[in-house]
Amino acid sequence: MLTENQNLTLNHKPGHIKHDGHNMTGFIIFLCSESIIFFAFFVGYSVLKISSPVWYPEGINGIDVKMPLINTVILVSSSFVIYFAEKYLHKKNLWGFRIIWFITMLMGSYFVYGQYVEWSELSFSLQSGAFGGMFYLLTGFHGLHVITGILLMGLMLLRSFLPDNYKGGEMGVESVSLFWHFVDVIWILLFGLIYLWQ
Amino acid sequence: MNTKIRRIKKSGFSKTFIISIAVILNITFSLLMGYWSYSWLPIQASEAAHYVDNLFAFETTIGTFIFLGCSGTMAWILVFNRAPKYDESNGEPLEGNLKLEIIWTLVPLLLVLGISTYSTSVNYKLENLGSKIKYDYGSEVPFVEEKKVFDYGPIDVISRQWNWEFIYPNGIHSSELHLPVDKKSNFRLITEDVIHSFYVPAFRLKQDIIPGSVITYSLTPTKEGVFRLRDAMFSGAYFSENQTNVIVESEEIFYKWIKETVKKELQNGLNPAGNLYQKRLRNGNRGWATVKPAPDPKVNDAGIESRPHDS
Amino acid sequence: MTIVNYDPRLVKSKNPYPKGPNDWKRFFSFNTDAKVIGIQYIVTALFFLLIGGLLAMLIRGELITPPSDLFDPTVYNGLYTMHGTIMLFLFLFPILSGLTNLLVPPMIGAPDMAFPKLNALAFWLVPVFSIILLLSFFVPGGPASSGWWSYPPISIQNPLGQIINGEMLWIIAISLSGISSIIGAVNFVTTIIRMRAPGMGFFKMPIFIWTVLAAQLLQLLGLPALTGGAIMLFFDLTFGTSFFRIEGGGDPVLFQHFFWFYSHPAVYVMVLPVFGIFSELFPVYSRKPLFGYKFVAVASFGITILSLVVWVHHMFYTGTPMWMRNLFMFTTMLIAVPTGVKVFAWIATLWGGNIRLTTPMLFCLGGLFNFIFGGITGVMLATVPVDIHVGNTYFVVAHFHYIIFNTIAFGIFAAIYHWFPKFTGKMFYEGLGKVHFALTFIGATLNWLPLHWAGLLGMPRRVASYDPEFAIWNVLASIGAFILGVASIPFILNMVSSWVRGKAAPPNPWKAIGLEWLLPSPPPHENFEEDIPTVLNEPYCYGLDKPFVEDEQFYIEKSLKEH
Repeated sequence: MLTENQNLTLNHKPGHIKHDGHNMTGFIIFLCSESIIFFAFFVGYSVLKISSPVWYPEGINGIDVKMPLINTVILVSSSFVIYFAEKYLHKKNLWGFRIIWFITMLMGSYFVYGQYVEWSELSFSLQSGAFGGMFYLLTGFHGLHVITGILLMGLMLLRSFLPDNYKGGEMGVESVSLFWHFVDVIWILLFGLIYLWQ
Repeated sequence: MNTKIRRIKKSGFSKTFIISIAVILNITFSLLMGYWSYSWLPIQASEAAHYVDNLFAFETTIGTFIFLGCSGTMAWILVFNRAPKYDESNGEPLEGNLKLEIIWTLVPLLLVLGISTYSTSVNYKLENLGSKIKYDYGSEVPFVEEKKVFDYGPIDVISRQWNWEFIYPNGIHSSELHLPVDKKSNFRLITEDVIHSFYVPAFRLKQDIIPGSVITYSLTPTKEGVFRLRDAMFSGAYFSENQTNVIVESEEIFYKWIKETVKKELQNGLNPAGNLYQKRLRNGNRGWATVKPAPDPKVNDAGIESRPHDS
Repeated sequence: MTIVNYDPRLVKSKNPYPKGPNDWKRFFSFNTDAKVIGIQYIVTALFFLLIGGLLAMLIRGELITPPSDLFDPTVYNGLYTMHGTIMLFLFLFPILSGLTNLLVPPMIGAPDMAFPKLNALAFWLVPVFSIILLLSFFVPGGPASSGWWSYPPISIQNPLGQIINGEMLWIIAISLSGISSIIGAVNFVTTIIRMRAPGMGFFKMPIFIWTVLAAQLLQLLGLPALTGGAIMLFFDLTFGTSFFRIEGGGDPVLFQHFFWFYSHPAVYVMVLPVFGIFSELFPVYSRKPLFGYKFVAVASFGITILSLVVWVHHMFYTGTPMWMRNLFMFTTMLIAVPTGVKVFAWIATLWGGNIRLTTPMLFCLGGLFNFIFGGITGVMLATVPVDIHVGNTYFVVAHFHYIIFNTIAFGIFAAIYHWFPKFTGKMFYEGLGKVHFALTFIGATLNWLPLHWAGLLGMPRRVASYDPEFAIWNVLASIGAFILGVASIPFILNMVSSWVRGKAAPPNPWKAIGLEWLLPSPPPHENFEEDIPTVLNEPYCYGLDKPFVEDEQFYIEKSLKEH
């Protein structure tokens, strides 16, 4: 909208607001909100567990901790691995970043695989009372987040091959990494709730 | 600008005079409203009723005072502070007044503290009149309260989609709830399907009936008469038909009723929803989906559906 | 500062809208301009106000006589459920998102929202879930009919046993609405935090921005809890899980906690922006600074924080333990304190002002009047013994309509009239506006004031039939509802004809202070583009010798020239 305003005198310094570059702020706000869903599920789990006279379905006294524990160790350590990937990127070591980033993806994929094996060996289903529902809901909802994280990492890996990808900053990689830490923290809480509190 | 305001300000006496007249009028009217508010409520038919009504009258009085104070001020402003046509000048540029702002933060705070203290004390009184205890299925606590806390009972109140059934300690079933006046009766509230609510406006009592738990409750009716018992928690298609009567009788008549009813054969009790559903089926089952109403309850005293009620 | 000649290149937008501002087709496209999105939201929402209003009149038509004679009770239940759902999720939330979209960027001087594409996505979800919700009228068994609370077990009974049923579509629609709201909330909060004009510190923001921030933070904190509950309800309904089924060890009351943890704050999500609208409009039409700006601003956050710890007051009679009832009674009543601060500040703003009774001001005054009334009945409902008597009766229905229609919708109408010239560039017809106000005020009062007495006497809410002693109150209410229906005619007439052929609006028809009033009407695509004013004071300094922005005269002249 160009207008002829030549005879207006400017008595001030024009102010400016950045159009973009707010992704990180928005993403952090989103994650805070997302954590409330998990929080709601955790509260639901605890309330049902405390109030229910019979918690586990018939014939089950508890769930195996050993395999999920290995899974937990892998997922938690991947959070450290991704930190090093980011460090490489800061140092402009692109191949170092790609390799370590890929390792994180593999660790995440192993976690999903482990989860799948665990699910297929369980003797109860989604319909097995409040516990069955809660178990599959929590692990499944978290698993969805892990898969999302892996897909996002794949996207970032592909985009790292684009020339000029990091010209505008490393916002994408930083956000995905933050998401991965988030998924990790949620898992630790979840693990404590479902597996350790039996 | 604001000549009228200025004029009033000039004479400090008339300002004080107007305000005091307004406050006196407001207090008078608020007290009247508090007095009238008793007539807005149903008959007081239980021990709890007058506690609730007093609290409500108290709140009505205070509420009226605040409402009239605020809206009266607004009316005053609308009458005396109107801008003349085409006058677009500014009003008095008051940005705030810290003292005033602190006052109107603290006064409501104190008021709220006062109301909630009063209402908490009413709460405890009602609790002493008849405590509500919720037992979940599977909990170790017995469903029956100790005998000494009530005079008659426990009466099992069974709610369904959509009829009520009452089972007395001697095993008789009825479709209407009979209670002896001035005696503390004890109930065990049970639902067979969804959440219902046991609501007798004349008793000022409402208690949701939650699936998976038994809620015990005691109350003392203080007036003879017929009162409506309404389901107050939406329970599906024929929710509004899920009503019956509470019949409060003198002790003598009550026990006579018990004695006579025990001899009666079981018959079909009140089930207006079931009748309506049958009608719907006859008319081609039009309308949206609903679960089938529970069958007629089998009771010793079938009750009268259109019994005139006092409240 | 040295005086330099104005450089026209400064107003050249980086992303000018290609087809010019008068292209109506942009309202039907995936447009990323917040002002277009705002109008899309508002028009869509007003359409659903008509649908929801039609359902309301059907409900009142049924209730004008005691027996259930107009519809089968099952139909009545579906109608009132859809009435509530449409009014909340398809009218109130979208229209407030619309006003927020229109107002936030110009008010803080931002060119657009922080995430314009997400913004458009959030809007286009509205027609998607609206259609899903409306389609549920046509599935076998009819739409959801367990009330907008959708309490289990009633909501998971699924009488026909089909997988696709009204309740299921209802849950899907509500979840999509939740996603749309979360996207919106992330966008609004980021925009407000990151994109304010130079010099606009938090205590120089307009109160509307404060309230939007408070309300959207509440969305972010509360809405996921409802989404969590909705997911579990969906599983119970569709996959046979037992989260809320007692047979499998679930707990139906748990859903009530999830539901009210969000749905009570949801009322504040809706009412807070309306408080903002009141705080914007009273100073303009009484030509006075907002009384106690900082108190009013901070009170919004007082309400946000408190509203997260009051939800159990909806469950006083579900067998909640005594200590919990007393605690939540107290927290609920505490909300009266920050709310009172606002109410008294508005009245003090009016006091000694130069009141202009324009249509927006009338709606504001009517809204404030009704709000004081609804607030007082709210405190009554918070006290446990009274709530045990009147809870779930028409007293509650009357109370929340006093808040949700007589306050929130009044504020929304005020905002629509007040900012209509700014965003359409046309003046509306004052006379029709006043007719609209008179009909709305009379209709609303007649509709909901009498219902308080029906509730006090013990008429439960959601009934399709009732005992004859409640007839008088219901007849009055039904007449009021039909008057409200009539009131929509002057409103639609006014909006449509004014927009099509109204008088061109000047940039600042109300002589108001605020960044949006320094823009031409309608504002250009990117508002201030590359020349954003530096804010010096809060926008309420009527009659005070405090300039609002640096070099105000320049912006005023510029807006007049571009006009």
